[in-house]
Amino acid sequence: MTESGEDLLTKALAEAIAQLSGPRRLTVVEVTVSGITTFGLRRDETGTPRCRFGPPVPWTDLAGDPATDPPEEATEEQVLLAAVGVPPGSEVFLVCGSPDDPPTAQVMEWLRAARPEATAFTRPGARVETLLREILLHEPLCRSYDLVVLKRHPETGRLELSSHPLFLVGARRGDTLRVQVRCDHGDEYGTAFAVVAWQGPRPRLLSVQTARLTPGRYDFTAELERPGRVRFVGLPGLVRDDRDWAELIAAVPAVLGGEVEPAHLICAVEVSGAAKQVDERLIRVRQMITVMSGGTTPELVVSLVAYGAHSYDRRATQEPVEVAGWLMSPEQALHSLTDWERRGATTPGYPYAAQVEDMLAEVADRLGKTEPRRTVLLTVGDRPPHPPRVHRSEILPCPDRHDWELLLAWIERRAGMTLGAICDRPPEQADPIWQRLGGGAPIQLEVADVRRLGDDLGLSPPKAQRIPFPLIETP
Amino acid sequence: MVSDAGPARPNIAMWGAPTSGKTTLLAALSIALLQRRSPWRIVGADDASTAFLKDKAAALSRGKEFPRATQAMDRYRWVLIGEGEQRDGLLRRRPKPTPAPRIGLNLLDPPGGVYGDEPDKFGTDQQELLDNLVGSKGIVFLFDPLREFERGDAFDYLYGALTQLAGRMLGSDGYTGDRLPHHLAVCITKFDEYRVLETAKELKLLVTDPEDPYGFPRIDDDDAVELFKWLCRISASGSAEMVLNALDQFFRRDRIKFFVTSSIGFYLDPRTNFFNPDDYQNLIPKPAEGVSFHIRGPVHPINVMEPIVWLGERLAGEPPNEGPGR
Repeated sequence: MTESGEDLLTKALAEAIAQLSGPRRLTVVEVTVSGITTFGLRRDETGTPRCRFGPPVPWTDLAGDPATDPPEEATEEQVLLAAVGVPPGSEVFLVCGSPDDPPTAQVMEWLRAARPEATAFTRPGARVETLLREILLHEPLCRSYDLVVLKRHPETGRLELSSHPLFLVGARRGDTLRVQVRCDHGDEYGTAFAVVAWQGPRPRLLSVQTARLTPGRYDFTAELERPGRVRFVGLPGLVRDDRDWAELIAAVPAVLGGEVEPAHLICAVEVSGAAKQVDERLIRVRQMITVMSGGTTPELVVSLVAYGAHSYDRRATQEPVEVAGWLMSPEQALHSLTDWERRGATTPGYPYAAQVEDMLAEVADRLGKTEPRRTVLLTVGDRPPHPPRVHRSEILPCPDRHDWELLLAWIERRAGMTLGAICDRPPEQADPIWQRLGGGAPIQLEVADVRRLGDDLGLSPPKAQRIPFPLIETP
Repeated sequence: MVSDAGPARPNIAMWGAPTSGKTTLLAALSIALLQRRSPWRIVGADDASTAFLKDKAAALSRGKEFPRATQAMDRYRWVLIGEGEQRDGLLRRRPKPTPAPRIGLNLLDPPGGVYGDEPDKFGTDQQELLDNLVGSKGIVFLFDPLREFERGDAFDYLYGALTQLAGRMLGSDGYTGDRLPHHLAVCITKFDEYRVLETAKELKLLVTDPEDPYGFPRIDDDDAVELFKWLCRISASGSAEMVLNALDQFFRRDRIKFFVTSSIGFYLDPRTNFFNPDDYQNLIPKPAEGVSFHIRGPVHPINVMEPIVWLGERLAGEPPNEGPGR
């Protein structure tokens, strides 16, 4: 069948391209005086039509010049067929652009004879490359396109990978959409604007562009340049990103930590014992508050608790646990600490233990009256607690029968609680309770690195967020 | 003070390793005799002994501190005086009023090393101590279980002295018996200490006297030897088990009695004034020292008077201090 007319050819080609899916292929063979050009078309996994073609193959490369040296028909046909390289099962279009040229017409005849099922067109001056380019450029989308985003669970803070619709099936070149997202600090590539095409339940990565953006809200436009290409207008510094889907997913953190509530640092200091040691403990507490409240950290609230030694001398007065302040600002806490520093060590009292259990009772009592929040109990001291009753350690029982094990277990179980400790002695020489007070990792007073301890306890200012995708707020 | 003149009387010697609590026991004895309204009184036989007893008893009752560790030989003599008209106990057999029984109580408090580990260092003192033991009819032997826990030298200390004593007495031609003639009150001290009381509790040896207003735990004297055996078994050296054998070997079994004692007693909560099994330790280390102790609450001596009274009753019926032979 021979048909003519540009619209008809364009329509037929567009229809054939629209029918492409899965393994189906379309081959367009263009025959002109310049030679034979073969166009291979298919859809990729994103549903985007792809066309591959090379430069025209001149006649001389195939079988010499048919005008001056006509070859044997059978030989010529075989050569031509081999040169066309039509893949098996492919739908074939034959387009003759130079019907007035006898050799070209002859070759066209050979091709038609060889592929009788092919749709043949004769159109003088036709340029298949141009026709196909136009068709592909204006083809409506056969799959929807989405922007890859992250959504934060409002309660857990856990990040969920999600998508935001950009273009639906049927969208065409030039369609646009306004998009609003929030961008945080990206990873080393920046923030990725990845577009996926959906086929059933599975997304296919279509394109990735990244930009190093200042954290904040962005209002930009997504424009469908053509099937397979989305342009973002209003995002500065976008560059192409060649990472694959797996690499992008691996960059997503589990939890969004950008909105950290103020931490509550409880410093419990043993103020009995050698004056020099007490001074040193107070110095460490001052360092901790100063370092952890500096910089860009979110608010830090501080509570100060001092405890000493029980006195079992019936003639001496009992010094209770002293709370200098609860939920104070770091500045207030440092001011209160000054009073303790001036005062120094308290009366010696019982030498083998300290009021650790009374301190725990006081802390537990106060914590029980407040809502759970991120809290660090930092105990700084040396001696063990008093047992609640007579004990093989022969340390005298707490006069108020406070049971440090029960109290500490309650504190340990409290939501958001972290324990840390600075002990005068190295861990291997300290009483075993310091392991528990220190959350399994007490550190020695003399070598205490408060900045590192603060990091370990989660008190340090949080590092800049590394969120590799735009964030969409959830209602 | 009581004059030393008059008829000879039987003597009791205090014997125990250094730091076993001899002087504290004596101070506690004087308090116990007052607290219990005992028919027995203790008085000094000389000015020094009277002063010693007064000072130590006062210090102990005030809860200040223990007598200092003995650095040189201290010699003290007291007299236990019973009631002459008393008709119960040892006087029951006597149909007529008799003079008050009087028993000498001698403490030759030696520094460490006199009896055992350094026998040559204190030669003169050692001789004097042996003379005191030879001249006594009763011995209060203090066994310090804590010292045994930590040092385990009771056997060394006891056996060294016993062999010398036996050599002096049994080896001489004047004695015909096969055992030493003394009555021996073995006092297991420091009953108030955690390790001793808890051991007794584990052995189920504790009883409570329903008449005791404080509810203090006690150990029947008949069961005291069980505690003694157990404490010897868990001594630091392991040699303490031989202590009982040595006592059996040198003393007549019917003249040995065991007592579980505490010079200071248990702590009493002033709010309840009753024994609290959860909080009974009556010793507190001195602040900032941790090596010496003072007493937490009032002193309530336990079984301190009983060994002396037992010895007193046994000796009161015996002839005056004519020497321990027989």
